[in-house]
Amino acid sequence: MSQYGFYFDKEKCIGCRACEVACQVWNNAVQTVKWRNVSCLTRGTYPEVTGVNASLACMHCAEAPCKKACPRQAISKEEDSGGVTVDQSRCVGCMLCLWACPFGAPQMGVKGRMEKCTFCEERPVGKIKRACEEICPQQAIVSGRIEDLVLRSKQVVAERLSYDKQAEVILGHEEK
Amino acid sequence: MTRDVINEIRGTKTVPGVCMICPWHCPTENFVKNGRVEYVRGNEYAVNATSRCVKGISSIHSSRDSDRLLYPMKRNSQGVHERISWDDALTQIAARLKANKDAFGPESLVYLWHLDSNETFTHKLFGELYGTPNLSGHGAACDQDRRLAALETFAHPLPVKDYANSRFVMLWGADPFGPNEALHENRELLESMKKGCRLVVVDPNRSRTAEKAHLWLPIKPGTDGALALAMAYHIIETKSYDQAFCDEWVHGFSEFAEHVLSNEYTPKWAETITGISRETIIAVADEFALTKPALMDGLKGLVNYTTGLDALRTVFALNVITGNIDGPGNLILKELAPLDMPVDIPEEAITATEQLPLGSAMGYPLAPDMPTQLLPEAVLEGNPYPVKSLFFHICNPAQSDPNTRLFEKMMAAVDLSVTIDIYMSETAQLSEFVLPEASTYERAEVRESLWAGPQVVFAQPAIEPLGESKPLYEIMKGLAEKMGYGEYFQWNSWEDWARKQTAFLPVTYEELKEKGVWEGELRYHKFKTDGGLATPSGKFEIYSNLFEEMGYSPLPGFSEEHRIKPDAEYPFQLINCKMQYHCGTHTQNNPYLMSIVSENWVELNTNDARRLGIADGDRVEVSSPQASATISAKVSEAVQPGVARVPHGHGFGRRFGTLARGKGTHINPLFETRMNPVSGGISFNECTVNIRKI
Repeated sequence: MSQYGFYFDKEKCIGCRACEVACQVWNNAVQTVKWRNVSCLTRGTYPEVTGVNASLACMHCAEAPCKKACPRQAISKEEDSGGVTVDQSRCVGCMLCLWACPFGAPQMGVKGRMEKCTFCEERPVGKIKRACEEICPQQAIVSGRIEDLVLRSKQVVAERLSYDKQAEVILGHEEK
Repeated sequence: MTRDVINEIRGTKTVPGVCMICPWHCPTENFVKNGRVEYVRGNEYAVNATSRCVKGISSIHSSRDSDRLLYPMKRNSQGVHERISWDDALTQIAARLKANKDAFGPESLVYLWHLDSNETFTHKLFGELYGTPNLSGHGAACDQDRRLAALETFAHPLPVKDYANSRFVMLWGADPFGPNEALHENRELLESMKKGCRLVVVDPNRSRTAEKAHLWLPIKPGTDGALALAMAYHIIETKSYDQAFCDEWVHGFSEFAEHVLSNEYTPKWAETITGISRETIIAVADEFALTKPALMDGLKGLVNYTTGLDALRTVFALNVITGNIDGPGNLILKELAPLDMPVDIPEEAITATEQLPLGSAMGYPLAPDMPTQLLPEAVLEGNPYPVKSLFFHICNPAQSDPNTRLFEKMMAAVDLSVTIDIYMSETAQLSEFVLPEASTYERAEVRESLWAGPQVVFAQPAIEPLGESKPLYEIMKGLAEKMGYGEYFQWNSWEDWARKQTAFLPVTYEELKEKGVWEGELRYHKFKTDGGLATPSGKFEIYSNLFEEMGYSPLPGFSEEHRIKPDAEYPFQLINCKMQYHCGTHTQNNPYLMSIVSENWVELNTNDARRLGIADGDRVEVSSPQASATISAKVSEAVQPGVARVPHGHGFGRRFGTLARGKGTHINPLFETRMNPVSGGISFNECTVNIRKI
């Protein structure tokens, strides 16, 4: 079984929320239900302020807490993609999955059943990007096989360090 | 191409389009099935690739919005808009235009628009055939100072950015990662930063762009010119400018250097004005001068003050004296594609304009766009000549210009007012005739994009126009027939004029139609190979003889003569901004965007808010000497103390939309009529306010 997932680059995300809307438009979701959600956090006091943005959807966990929490066995793990999906016909809208999920990913739909990221199940993996990934102006979201994404994140970090003036300090294992 | 994958999954057909939400006009792909737009994304063949910003992807709603203008309307004697037929509307407008031309001359017609390339049809009809010199964009409310500074320095109105190759970028009062700007530019800037490019942002507010910057300089509002001059002083004093480039390609370098040194625009001088320490100014100036390639650019945050023009002239001069211009990683003097006119008017039919454009006639001969703040005087007092007919196309000065009351008075007094729009905008509500335009999903458009090289976007109708709405070219054709100019607007389908317009491009019509974009070669340092610049001297002009002849300062200085600064009665500087999730009237009835944020706010620094007993979300009254408004407070660490920051373009008692109705606060009545004395650009931020909790 392959396990697919999302890579997210917080250095690139500008918090524009295009991913949220692309997800809604592609999946014909209503505008108030967000399968993907962007959070913008700031810290510090003027003028020493830092901020970070995070775009989060279902992580399609290997050991999905939502699946374990569901009393109706409505949540399953897809064999081919490792995607975590909700069977709408079994769901009774008890929201236990939302309470169990550490990322708050499952969302109550307008029909009283839980909905969540389907990893754009219609879009064949490898042939086309997920809707959120395709729209992102900064290419901050990348989907793919977990092994590839882990490799990618290592490469991204290495590339950043290679251009960083302070990289030698870090690469020289100097204590921070 | 992956568009085929989508078409296979959804059974759709791809129709290339263009986004009309903001002025950057990114190329798009629309996916259509059974007369409905099912999905939209960026054009895979273009530099922005499949990406869209949040407003772009959300704009799919405007292809379905039943709150759009669906038929022509005319205001009756009770002031209520009633439906009329296209034939009646165009017949009546044409007759009134003829009467006004006969009695007051063609210059009595003023037509304002907002960056729509189909306006070439308007130019043919109203400019060449009818003969008015008063066709203008709404730039006075936008980038007027930048455009004039660019025309003066580079003889180019809209320099763009080649971030992909930059090593150092400095942005002044510009927030490309926030409200908008070209998507490919944003992506390239972040990619470059990953490779070590440094970003410095000058802004009183910690904007989205400042959030990503290596260095944020929270400058005192309106003092950017002083900072730029101090950087120039240090660069000249340490001789870190590009001497060889200045000798060969810069007009007036020695005068500029002498001016900067003799006026003692030192970092020490600038420190007290700008609130940026002299050490920082020196460090940034050194880094800018010594890192190549570099670019610096400014936008609305500078233009919004009476000091904006000189600030931008200095910013452009800094690029020039360090040799950072039109090369890889620099500001690029964008080359245009060889597009033809969609229709031609034979010379004998063209009406020679006798009167000067309003701007020139009213003392602003260098204004790139009409200083729209002068319009009320022209309409209400007939000065310098009578203005009797006003057209507004996809622009909404009732919402975007200051001094709303004066605008309303003007609209009530003018003889003929016509608004062409896709929504019942605030300006449409004040107009006698309202003509429904087809949205970008329902019409064709051949336009130049804002990519650094030549790039043509060929947008095609994806669906039928909603209701009775019509594309602008069909409206102009219909009006031309009623005005007796029908012979010059002959086509069976938009493809007839689109073929003519694109005939000189080195691509077949069929390929262009299929892809929706054509990109030429991005050439650098064109002035070196193409025989210099189009400026009078053929060089980059940091000393302007033209300005001198017109009685303006040939060199950029720093004067706070026209500045409005906070005092005891009005202790806050009101600065306006755009919201990341909205762009003017056209996003206000959008369910995707309204679910993200539905109202604007006044942003205050935490310390200021605490002192005034204001908590986040409290309703407050914001009062200027001109007017007051009620709005929610947003308490934040991101904004400079003493500054009140409000996103504009919201509110005004909207009647047009189910979602827009009653939402937001219209802040523009608080702004007085203030302009840059040379460019006529609107100085929105020359406004001080008092704030109290209610």
